[in-house]
Amino acid sequence: MPRGLKIKKQSFLTEAECRIVHEGSCRLLEETGVELTNPKALNLFKEGGAIQKGNRIKMSRDMINRAVEKTAKNFIMKAKDPENELILDTKSPRVHFGTGGQALYVLRKENGMFKKKEAVTQDLVDILRICEKLDHVDFITRPVEPDVPDEEMDLEKTRLFLAHTTKHMNLANLIIEDCLPDIIEKVGDRSSISFISCVAVSPLNLVSPTVEKFIRIVSEDIPVAISSCPQAGLTAPLSEVGEIIQVNAEILSAVVLANLVRPGAKVLYRGIPITSNLHLDVSPRWCQPESIRRIALISDITYFYGIPCCGTAAVSDEKKPTSQALSEKVLGWIFEAASGAQFINSALGMLEQVMTVSPEQYIIDDMGISLVKKYLSMHPGADLKETGREVVFKALETFDVKTTREMEKEIANRIEFIYSPKEEYSPDYINNQVDHIVNAVSSAKSSSKFLKDSRKGLRKGWLYMGKRIEGAMNLKEVLKTKDGILGMRLRGT
Amino acid sequence: MDEFLEKIKENIIEGRVDSQDEGFDGTKAGQPGVTELVQEAVNKKISPVDILTKCLNPGMEEVGSLYEKGEYLTPDMLASAECVKAAMKLLDPLLVNENIQNKGKIIMATVQGDLHDIGKNIVSTLLRGSGYEVLDLGTDVSVGKIVETVKETKARLVGLSALLTSTMGRMEDVVEKLKKEGLRKNVKVLIGGAPISMEFADKIGADFYCTDAFDAINKLEA
Repeated sequence: MPRGLKIKKQSFLTEAECRIVHEGSCRLLEETGVELTNPKALNLFKEGGAIQKGNRIKMSRDMINRAVEKTAKNFIMKAKDPENELILDTKSPRVHFGTGGQALYVLRKENGMFKKKEAVTQDLVDILRICEKLDHVDFITRPVEPDVPDEEMDLEKTRLFLAHTTKHMNLANLIIEDCLPDIIEKVGDRSSISFISCVAVSPLNLVSPTVEKFIRIVSEDIPVAISSCPQAGLTAPLSEVGEIIQVNAEILSAVVLANLVRPGAKVLYRGIPITSNLHLDVSPRWCQPESIRRIALISDITYFYGIPCCGTAAVSDEKKPTSQALSEKVLGWIFEAASGAQFINSALGMLEQVMTVSPEQYIIDDMGISLVKKYLSMHPGADLKETGREVVFKALETFDVKTTREMEKEIANRIEFIYSPKEEYSPDYINNQVDHIVNAVSSAKSSSKFLKDSRKGLRKGWLYMGKRIEGAMNLKEVLKTKDGILGMRLRGT
Repeated sequence: MDEFLEKIKENIIEGRVDSQDEGFDGTKAGQPGVTELVQEAVNKKISPVDILTKCLNPGMEEVGSLYEKGEYLTPDMLASAECVKAAMKLLDPLLVNENIQNKGKIIMATVQGDLHDIGKNIVSTLLRGSGYEVLDLGTDVSVGKIVETVKETKARLVGLSALLTSTMGRMEDVVEKLKKEGLRKNVKVLIGGAPISMEFADKIGADFYCTDAFDAINKLEA
């Protein structure tokens, strides 16, 4: 029995809406293209028929469509234990939950208090051991890096993964390109590892030297997630429609490159169209309802192409395990899983966005994911307005948090926001957003343009403003489970 | 004349840099914005000191007050600060002989190895809008370049930004180099960026950890 949750996919966008998003992204790539200065990538694009104009490379719709057609539509991500293999296939989707990264700090409960320290190699080992034991962790994305010099990082990380997990090893970033042959030699079967490449930097830029590492990974036939993570209002339009067109164009440009390197490339589509906190410090908003919605919409786009989706969910702002963090995380998981993302970086164990990991939070999150899976299996295709609310409160109850009417209202508001489109997906509106992106990209400071242009959308309420979920959590069982896995060494006195 | 100056102030508050800006209600495209109005004021020989003290300064004060009340948000502040920047570009040459002093020189840089400039640019824009002379060195700036610029310009403020965990260590190098060169006691170092924390600022001996642009302004003016 392969790993993963069989689901009945729920869609937010119709096929016709996905098609006009595709048209908008193609127009961007045809008319404006992506910024690219790497000579190797430029040569590949030009040999494939793309046109270089200054520091930008423009590609035709045909070129894009051919690349999408060639891209691998299904593949197996292997693991040391064959029972931990993952099958990625949009035609018969299975949802897999994994960790995320990379955090700098570790938060542990010691002497009854949470204490934060810089993450070191031992923390990576502990997290790998915890995740190996947790039933609902299907794969592991490197949560923290070992504290060794950069030149030793890739091989040390691989060694630790091999020693402490039998699950699929998503090593995330490749630090030194020339280490790749040694990594492959160590792991034996190259399909037991995968990478994430942040090759696309918004707006519309394929960056060196990441692009060179990306080419190398693809040429070695190793699965790689193409990541694009703009912040609406800063590096993309605040508009949901505009941001999705831009993310899609960025990822499609890398899909084209991947297929020029190796036709039939095994890539995952990792679009993360989040928003920015334009009310305050412009920090990223990952777990707020508008971002949960946008990330779920991306899954629809990946199904339109038939390319496996590397999803993102549950990146909370909270600094320690709280009811607020749990409520945000559960909503993120349920919507991303229901949207059919097959390989979800689920921010297991993560807090303070992606800055901190906590052994206790891994166990809380595993319990939360088990509930999400249970409800989605019991009610396939159910309206998430009801199911989503039920799962959030069931999760809170698990930790003895009492439900109040205010909490119910807040969760209902968040779900309503996720379900409610704020803009239209019409050809005119799409073209208007494309023009807007082109203007910003061609101005000297695109972020300033995106920021200024976000003023109208802000006043239309495109960023969700809600209330926190408060309520003390009982973590007794969590601490017991943690001690059971890691033994006395980590126990607080 | 007061009515004309009032119009400049209103456009600063609305954040309309030029005539292309359609304004809050989407109806003002084609109408002159701050750039055109200040140019007209200069042509009319209106005193640059009057433009500064009757339009720019009170305009930004009003914007700050609207922000504090929650009626204005970050993009609104930025739009107004850009208006001030555009106006100052026209007024600076005329103010040279007027003995008007700015609030001080600040060197801004994203540290070596880091190409992220959004945060730094926002802080730079808002600092300019608040009356500081900003010397923006850009991204991927070496420790040596920052310290040399401190020496050359005699700036007493240095703002450092980093988004990457792998580059934040360069901030400590800047602080150390300033010490070695005997410049540290005359220079305040402000740091900020996603991976930065108060603990990190204390650890490396920076003077201020700033959570955002407004925090930077508040700390400088405290």
